[in-house]
Amino acid sequence: MKKDLLTRATGVFTAATLIAGVVTGCGSTAGASSVEAKTDSAPASSEVYRTLDEIKESGTINIGVFSDKSPFGYVDENGEYAGYDVFFAERIGQDLGVKINYVSTEAANRIEYLQTGKVDIILANFTVTEERAQEVDFALPYMNVALGVVSPSDAVIESLDNVGADDEIIVISGTTAETYLEKNYPDIKLQKYDAYAEAKTAIENGNAAGWANDNTEVIAFAIENEGFTVGVPSLGDSDTIAPAVTKGNETLLTWLNDEIKAIGEENFFHADYEATLLDTYGADYEDTLVVEGGKVQ
Amino acid sequence: MDVEVLKTYLPLYNEAILLTIRIGWLGILAAFAIGLLGAVIQYFRIPILKRITAVYIEVFRNTPLLVQLFFIYFALPKIGLRISAEACGILGLGLIGGAYMIETVRSGLESVDRIQSESALSLGMTRGQVFFYIILPQAFSISIPGVVANVIFLLKETSVFSTISLMDLMFTAKDLIGMYAKTIECLFLLVVYYLIMLLPVSIVGTIVERRARYAQFGD
Repeated sequence: MKKDLLTRATGVFTAATLIAGVVTGCGSTAGASSVEAKTDSAPASSEVYRTLDEIKESGTINIGVFSDKSPFGYVDENGEYAGYDVFFAERIGQDLGVKINYVSTEAANRIEYLQTGKVDIILANFTVTEERAQEVDFALPYMNVALGVVSPSDAVIESLDNVGADDEIIVISGTTAETYLEKNYPDIKLQKYDAYAEAKTAIENGNAAGWANDNTEVIAFAIENEGFTVGVPSLGDSDTIAPAVTKGNETLLTWLNDEIKAIGEENFFHADYEATLLDTYGADYEDTLVVEGGKVQ
Repeated sequence: MDVEVLKTYLPLYNEAILLTIRIGWLGILAAFAIGLLGAVIQYFRIPILKRITAVYIEVFRNTPLLVQLFFIYFALPKIGLRISAEACGILGLGLIGGAYMIETVRSGLESVDRIQSESALSLGMTRGQVFFYIILPQAFSISIPGVVANVIFLLKETSVFSTISLMDLMFTAKDLIGMYAKTIECLFLLVVYYLIMLLPVSIVGTIVERRARYAQFGD
C-alpha cells in the first residue's frame, strides 16, 4: 500500500511538471512571436494580428471597448454600445466599409486582447504610457486625460498626502491610476477591483475613503452621484488617450493615423464630444478633453 | 521567461497564497460544520429544520459562488449590513461549501445499512450510541473522498474573489499582468502556486482515506 501511494504521488508530480512545461512552452511561442513582430522579419500571415487587407477581406473588424465605463464606452438601455469611444469606432467601421464586432474588455486585459489577436483595435479609453507602448502600438491620440480622486463629500480627500494610514483607496486593476499610486504612494492601501461597475458600487457603499481613476471618470461619477466630490481633480502628468493595435501591425496603424488626421479636418472629435460627453461634462471641458487631428495643444 | 521577473513577483504571490489559504481554511471549516449539522438534520428527518435545510441546499448549490459573493458584499450593505471583504469570502465559501458538504455527509450516513442500526437498537444501545458509535464512523470513512473533492473544489473557487477586492492568487496574477504585461511569468507562477496549494490536499486526502477505511480494506 505504501508503494501504491508513492506511485500515485509521483504520478501527480509528473503531471504537474507536464502542465508547467506546457505553460512555459506556450509562453515561449508567444514570446517568440512578439519578438518577430518587433523585428518585422516574419510574413504577416503568421502573426497573431490581422493586416488592414485581411480585415477588409473578412468584412468585420473586432474592436475592444468598455461596456461599463459611461460615458466613454458602455451599453445603453437598448443593449447597444454607446459613448465617446464607440462613436469613434462606428466611424472607423464606416470608413473601412466593414461591420464592427464589439468585444467587451476589462481594464486589465486590454494589452492581452491585442497580443493574442482577440481584437484588431482597442478603443477602451486606453491611456498612452511608456510601459504599454512597449507591448502595443498606439495610434495618434484623440483625448486628454489626467488622474483624479473622488471621495464622499463629508470626508473629502484633497491631497493624497493626507490619506490616513487605515484608509483605503479604490483603484481598478490594470489602470494608470493603479500604476501611479503603486509607484508614487506605496504606503497607501489600495482596494483593487477588476471592473468599473464593482468599483463604483464599492465607493457608493462606502467601502473605501476614495476612488482614484482617470479624472474624466471620477468627475462623471461625482456629477451622477450626489454626496461625492472630486477633491483631487488633477493628479500626476497629463496623458493622452489613443487607439492601440497589436505591436507591429503597421498597415492598420498607418490607416488609423491617417483616419484620425483626416476626420480632424471636419472637427470629428468635437462632434463626438457634443454627441456623447456634453450631457455629462457640459461645454466647459470640451477643449480640455478633446484632441483633434492627433495634435495635442 | 525571465527569472529575475519571477523573483520580484514571488513576495506578492506568497502573500496571495497565504490569504487564499487563510480564507480557504476558515471557509472550509465553516462548510464542514454546516455540512455535519445539516446532514444530521436530514438523516433524522427533523421536522421544519429539514425543510429549511433542503431550501438552503438548493439555493446555494444552484447559484454560482460569484453571485453569492456579489450579493453578500455589494447588496447587503445597501440594507445596512456591512461585512469586511475577508469575512465575506469566508462566509461565501462556508455557505456554498456547506450545501455540498451536507449532501456528501448525508450520502455517507445513508449508505450505512439500516439493518445495522436496527440490530444495535435491539441489542439495547440508545439512539445516540447507535449514531455515534455505529453509523457516524462508517459514514465518515465513506464520505472522505467526497469531502476531499469538496475541499479542493472550494480552494479553487477562491479564484472568483477578485470581485470583492481580495488579492487571491488569481487576482494577483491578473493584476500584475494588467500592470506590467509579463504574461508568461505571471501565469507560470499562478499554475505553480495552485499546485503548491492543492497537491498536498490531494495527497493528504489519499492518506487519510486509507487510514480511515482500514477496517474496510485492511492492508
